[in-house]
Amino acid sequence: MTAVLFLSVFLIAACGLIYELIAGTLASYLLGDSVLQFSTVIGGYLFAMGIGSGLSRFIRSDLVSRFVTIELMVGLLGGFSSALLFLSFAYTQSFRLLLYLLVLIIGILVGLEIPLLMRILKERFAFHDLVAHVLTFDYLGALGASLLFPLLLVPRLGLVRSAILFGIINAGVALWTTFLFGQKMRDRARLRLVSFGVLGALGAGMAGADKIADTADSQLYADEVIFARTTKYQRIVLTKWKDDVRLFLSSHLQFSSRDEHRYHEALVHPGLASIPGARRVLVLGGGDGLAVREILKYPAVESVTLVDLDPEMTKLFATHPYLRNLNANALNSPKVRIINEDAFPWLQKNDEMFDFVAVDFPDPTNFSLGKLYTTAFYRLLKRHINAGGMAAVQSTSPLFARQSYWCIVETMKQAGLEVHPYHVYVPSFGEWGFVLAGHRKWEPPQQLPQGLRFLTAAAIPSLFLFPTDMQPVEAEPNRLNDQVLVRYYDREWKQIVH
Amino acid sequence: METDRPLSGSRRRFLGAAALIGLTPKAGRPIAGSFVNDDHLFGHELRHRGQCLKRPQAARRVSAVIVGGGIAGLSAAWRFDKRRFRDFVLLEAAASPGGNSRWGENSVSAYPWAAHYVPVPARRSAPLVRELMEELGVLREGAWAEEHLCHSPQERLFLHGRWQEHMEPEIAAGARDREQYQRFAERMERFRRSNEFTIPMERGARPSPLDRISLRRWLLDNGFDSPYLHWLADYSCRDDYGALSSATSAWAGIHYFAAREPEDRGPLVWPEGNGWIVRRLLEKLGRYVRTNALVYHIRPEGLRYRVRTEEFDYLADAVIFAAPVFLAPYVVEPAPEVKGFEYSPWVTANLTLERWPKTNGAEPAWDNVIYDSPSLGYVVATHQSLKTRQEKTVWTWYHALAYAPPAESRRLLLETDWNYWKEFILDDLARAHPDIRQCVRSIDIMRMGHAMVRPSVGFVFSEPRRAVARLNGRFVYAHADLSGFSIFEEAQYRGVQAAEHVLRVLGG
Repeated sequence: MTAVLFLSVFLIAACGLIYELIAGTLASYLLGDSVLQFSTVIGGYLFAMGIGSGLSRFIRSDLVSRFVTIELMVGLLGGFSSALLFLSFAYTQSFRLLLYLLVLIIGILVGLEIPLLMRILKERFAFHDLVAHVLTFDYLGALGASLLFPLLLVPRLGLVRSAILFGIINAGVALWTTFLFGQKMRDRARLRLVSFGVLGALGAGMAGADKIADTADSQLYADEVIFARTTKYQRIVLTKWKDDVRLFLSSHLQFSSRDEHRYHEALVHPGLASIPGARRVLVLGGGDGLAVREILKYPAVESVTLVDLDPEMTKLFATHPYLRNLNANALNSPKVRIINEDAFPWLQKNDEMFDFVAVDFPDPTNFSLGKLYTTAFYRLLKRHINAGGMAAVQSTSPLFARQSYWCIVETMKQAGLEVHPYHVYVPSFGEWGFVLAGHRKWEPPQQLPQGLRFLTAAAIPSLFLFPTDMQPVEAEPNRLNDQVLVRYYDREWKQIVH
Repeated sequence: METDRPLSGSRRRFLGAAALIGLTPKAGRPIAGSFVNDDHLFGHELRHRGQCLKRPQAARRVSAVIVGGGIAGLSAAWRFDKRRFRDFVLLEAAASPGGNSRWGENSVSAYPWAAHYVPVPARRSAPLVRELMEELGVLREGAWAEEHLCHSPQERLFLHGRWQEHMEPEIAAGARDREQYQRFAERMERFRRSNEFTIPMERGARPSPLDRISLRRWLLDNGFDSPYLHWLADYSCRDDYGALSSATSAWAGIHYFAAREPEDRGPLVWPEGNGWIVRRLLEKLGRYVRTNALVYHIRPEGLRYRVRTEEFDYLADAVIFAAPVFLAPYVVEPAPEVKGFEYSPWVTANLTLERWPKTNGAEPAWDNVIYDSPSLGYVVATHQSLKTRQEKTVWTWYHALAYAPPAESRRLLLETDWNYWKEFILDDLARAHPDIRQCVRSIDIMRMGHAMVRPSVGFVFSEPRRAVARLNGRFVYAHADLSGFSIFEEAQYRGVQAAEHVLRVLGG
């Protein structure tokens, strides 16, 4: 009996510390400045515990029932604290408010625990023994938790699951208290029922924890998140800092509103402006509509077909007021046809021809995406380009991933395309590469549409010059059965990141 | 010797640990499925053929009969048809042809039931494979079509808790292991250059002392003791021959490693495995094929052969017996000598997945192998899809029952029910994919009592094998069994050779 009692002390102490650590960690993850976050969370928590201890004197009767109720409340709140905080960060503006509110409430509840428990136990032990034992196990629990948290819980279970696990422990302590001290409780049947309910809720939370973490993942975004959604295909996050809006897809930066015009003008105009009277245009990837915006600057263009896998992405950029403003409402133009399909199979089953194709796929970070950069893909692409037509392909950075870039060039060459590599500086990305390709040699355009912010006809030929540190290097072509590109890319970007 | 046994112990342990942290899957999610293609029962049917034989039947005259619609039989038909020889029938006992290249299909994907790839031939080798692949558009102007070559990543191995990219164990491999991999590769290269290990095997094979010891013995005799290398050798023998390296002729074991030097990165694969080839062949040859036509009896009648099926008798000038050789004594009169022909029992399963399980380490590959598992892992039927995202998929799980003597394993196959194998398969996969049970919607399982001939020690150069392989007279055999191991190239070669022989005999 004694051992079981002190085990309870040990466990609730551990739970108490875990919630504090989770709040501190989450706050530093999501808000940055870990010294500030940890100090305020710990300080706030200890202060709240003080309030709890002070309040404990107002609890006069039916101590055991109250203790059980408090355990259940701590279990429920603490258990879901991490999930609540993540979700509030993703979906509301009031993360900080919720954070300190949770810290305050959980702190108060935890502050109530030990005084109550000591009063429950005071008849069983001499006072000096009681204080010594309870405090010893209290501190031991804290030690256990503080070791377990960084070494096992965060790496293995993650923050959401760890919190729920300790919530379950709290509720478990409540449940077994109803058995240990059943005779002293007036409403033990009801409390037992509630305990099972709380355990059930936490268990369900554990099962659904993946979804929660997925919906509100712990990606670090430096700026304020103004939109976040997990679709079937990716996680879309928009951040804003002053007038700079950034789009992240599965935590890869897609554009910054400050310099995306450089990227999209470079993707579209060197090719499209060189094709007099181009009427039919295809965009692969690029569900943000920014390439389409550039394409619609050519009055001769009659139709733009946009093939992007993710319907949520194209819907977002067709409806969100800020984004519609950014892409000049391109996705709602009557000339634009949106097709939400996988590009490779779509091209394969389709026999439409195009004058210009803008290929704006995510970088080849894995073998699935790498298929979109193979000889097989470019051969297929070639069959959809009219005799005088061109395709422009985003091709990662010739500076940071030099061999990857020249591998893409080589692959397109192997597919029988006439290639013209070029690059442009986009501050938020760095030096960025494209390849222009067609059936025949390309001539630089003499004239560009009105209203461009970056490109001039005179400057275009200079984009096709590569300084020494970006000049061609040997690379194998990327084939479906031998995706060298994914290996090059992985190696080169790893070197940059580490 | 280890026996094939269920893994329920580890599953219980896993569930126990999972329950503790509330991770248990939703209880009662039913997984559908059944045993399919129970053709191993044909053997039993043959043994009770007495009654059928008594009934007199009208006979149809035909120049040639091919018995068996696997790759060998279909290849014989392919050659007949190409030589404009059209007075023949191909009799297939099952409801659909294909033999070990049978396939299935559901709303998610087509999938193989057994043979699932053809290696890319070495430069200037395997002219028949080239001829066929050119006809099917897989080899175009001397280049292998990218879409038919297995896409990256081709293979991965689950070892010490994570997936690595290649089949050679790398995680925690020591200097000794690496030195032996290197030396082993050099030895195999030397064997390759000896021109003794060829495809088809008949071209280079000459009686060799290597056939008199097991591969395991050979490895040990040559100073190869790395456990990783032994695992790889064992895996390869189970994969290609259904036997352990200790039960496989060293000659055959070396053939696996030394006979191939593909001229492009392969192998050639299709969602339905080699069923794709069967499908394409049937487009050309379907009119010769009679399915559900189990041949009960073949005996000489004057200068001809009477071939009996339930529906008709055929009176043929020549017969190509392209069914597994072990069946011949039950069917052919006078019964041939087939001593030494041993067969490996197999179980394969097709699992339809609602979603992909989580993966730790290398990305899902076409061929996915779990180190130290009794099974051979699984092949992904949707791997060749050009989509960047796939929700659902079909996996074909392979298991050669190599750990017990074949007869014992066959008994196990007959005694165990679908549920036993379902659990066995899920437990096996759960080692690498703890959440597999939440992903699988159905499991169809195929049992094969005699899936493939075994190149046991001494078999490759044994007289019974060579006798059966000899082409003379108007009754000839055609099957990969004649080569001593079951691979596409051998089956095709034997089928074409038999057809050429029959054409010569009938023409002359």
